[in-house]
Amino acid sequence: MNSFFKNILIGLFSIRSNMTRVILTSTGLTIGIFTVSLVTASISSIDKEFAKSMDYYGNDKIYVGTWPWSFDFDWWKYRNRPRIEESSLEYINQYSEYVTDVSIKKNTWTRASFGNKASWVQLNGVYPSYQDMLSGTEIVNGRFFSQNEWELQRRVIIVGASVRDGFFEGKDPIGKKIRLNNVTFEIIGELKKQGMGMVPGGSLDSLVLMPSTTFERILTRWGFDELVLKTNPDNVPLAKEEVGMIMRVARKIPPGDDDNFAVNSADAYQTQFNDMKNAIAGMGFLVTGISLVVSAIGIMNVMFVSVRERTREIGLRKAMGATNFNILTQFLSEAVAIAIIGGSVGILLIRLTVFGISSFPIASFNGSTLPVSFDIILVFYTFIVCVVIGVLAGMIPARTAANLNPIDALRDE
Amino acid sequence: MAKNKKEIIAIQSVSKIYHLGETVVKALDNVSLSIYENDYISIMGPSGSGKSTLMNIIGCLDVPTKGDYKFNSELISEMNDNQLANIRNEKIGFVFQTFNLLPKLNAMQNVEVPLIYSSLGKKDRTERVEEALSVVGLQDRMTHKPNELSGGQRQRVAIARALVNKPSIILADEPTGNLDSKSGNDILKFFSKLHKAGNTIIMVTHEESVAKLSKRRIDIFDGKIARDE
Repeated sequence: MNSFFKNILIGLFSIRSNMTRVILTSTGLTIGIFTVSLVTASISSIDKEFAKSMDYYGNDKIYVGTWPWSFDFDWWKYRNRPRIEESSLEYINQYSEYVTDVSIKKNTWTRASFGNKASWVQLNGVYPSYQDMLSGTEIVNGRFFSQNEWELQRRVIIVGASVRDGFFEGKDPIGKKIRLNNVTFEIIGELKKQGMGMVPGGSLDSLVLMPSTTFERILTRWGFDELVLKTNPDNVPLAKEEVGMIMRVARKIPPGDDDNFAVNSADAYQTQFNDMKNAIAGMGFLVTGISLVVSAIGIMNVMFVSVRERTREIGLRKAMGATNFNILTQFLSEAVAIAIIGGSVGILLIRLTVFGISSFPIASFNGSTLPVSFDIILVFYTFIVCVVIGVLAGMIPARTAANLNPIDALRDE
Repeated sequence: MAKNKKEIIAIQSVSKIYHLGETVVKALDNVSLSIYENDYISIMGPSGSGKSTLMNIIGCLDVPTKGDYKFNSELISEMNDNQLANIRNEKIGFVFQTFNLLPKLNAMQNVEVPLIYSSLGKKDRTERVEEALSVVGLQDRMTHKPNELSGGQRQRVAIARALVNKPSIILADEPTGNLDSKSGNDILKFFSKLHKAGNTIIMVTHEESVAKLSKRRIDIFDGKIARDE
């Protein structure tokens, strides 16, 4: 065992005396590791953000809208669909077994301003019952609007964290008045900060909730509406089917005709997201896989050169009593060290890149940063990958070296 | 020949046959030879006579095709690569014509090479290396690299390396071949000194003058021992 480590040291020593060559060779692996880490880091970041978005949509909710949630959106097929009518909720309330709570959700984007500051926010007009249907967030300050306020079409709003950060420098926004589309609203509640998600619009924190009645009267009648239905998480598939049928009844769609609405839930998103993620990962890993193979061939090549150059040394070491295994260890550790050097530089680069990206704010208003995360576990995996690549790339040259006949090797010029 | 000394090497009816394509080369043909403790032997012969093959077999770098080779009563001819490596490490010190020092290591590190493959700890290794280098008179050149040393000094580093594992025999292959006559003479004087100190030395050489210094001379011709006196 003792001599095992000594041979590793000999291998490392020869690296030091050939630094230029080693750096050039390991660059291939640096690039490979860099890209593979970038792909992994991006995917895990996308995953995290997506999970956040899934929380936002909730695993216990069904959304009835005009269009299906889909990444391959067929505009021409859906563009003539009728809008979602709030009246459908009455049918659902009346006939559904699985739906426990309902709300309308009117969506629009508008300009919010306070003093000389302004920003675009996402507006949702909802029922008072929506308070119990919030997911992925909650009221952390103040309160939700009441049934009374809803009926009286009060100009009260509940705001996301970016309004507090953007307009009030982090100070308590309750009781403050901001203008939405040039109408003054009073802030009565504040939502918990969620960070960036993958919902349309980017940040979950630039959300503003208000009574749907107020929304309709003051802002617009032409938002895009959705029905939000709450159910037991286990009943989501059943509830979706049931709601689909109720909707057909509500809309009096004759049997045989296609639905002109869509029943959505987060799990459908999840499936599509996974497909997309797998596609990204597949491409990413294919490309980086190729670059890893190329870099392994580079290392193998340099190892062959190294063995060729040091044939006499190998002969001498064998004459001095080195066993085949000693020589094998020496050259393998050299190859592994080249691989680890390449990998470490790659990790260092990815670390710097992540640091660079995450410290660069993408929007000065809400202070969000691009979601790229860096895992320590990645370092560990990279290390393993480097060792494996080093061993695979070094094995044939190292075996060639180990099996040299000492007499011939000593005679080598 | 002194028969009361301990026999270190016993070569009995050893042949080494090479197949070069169709032709069969008998590099050694039924050679028998005994080497005793504290012998100082020179092996002479024209090139192609088989003296290198004999050296390689004595040095456990190669095994005979036929016949027995015993080293300290151990049967070498049937050993595997690892066992041979061990014997080379522990029992044999090599000195080469071209010194074969590793250019990137300094004198101490070069001398340490055989010990790397032994089981000695770092402290013992350093002690042994320093001792060996002072035996060859290079105690003040320990951290010099080969290119900072003269030819004679390089060969002395190589001799220190051969001595460092306290071998049973020292095998020198044309040790003065690459040296000017003065340095060559110094090295030969040094071999005589080592011999007087009790070492067993086997030297391959071309030069009559070098061979004369040894106590026993073996001539090889066509794979056979032509003279042994």
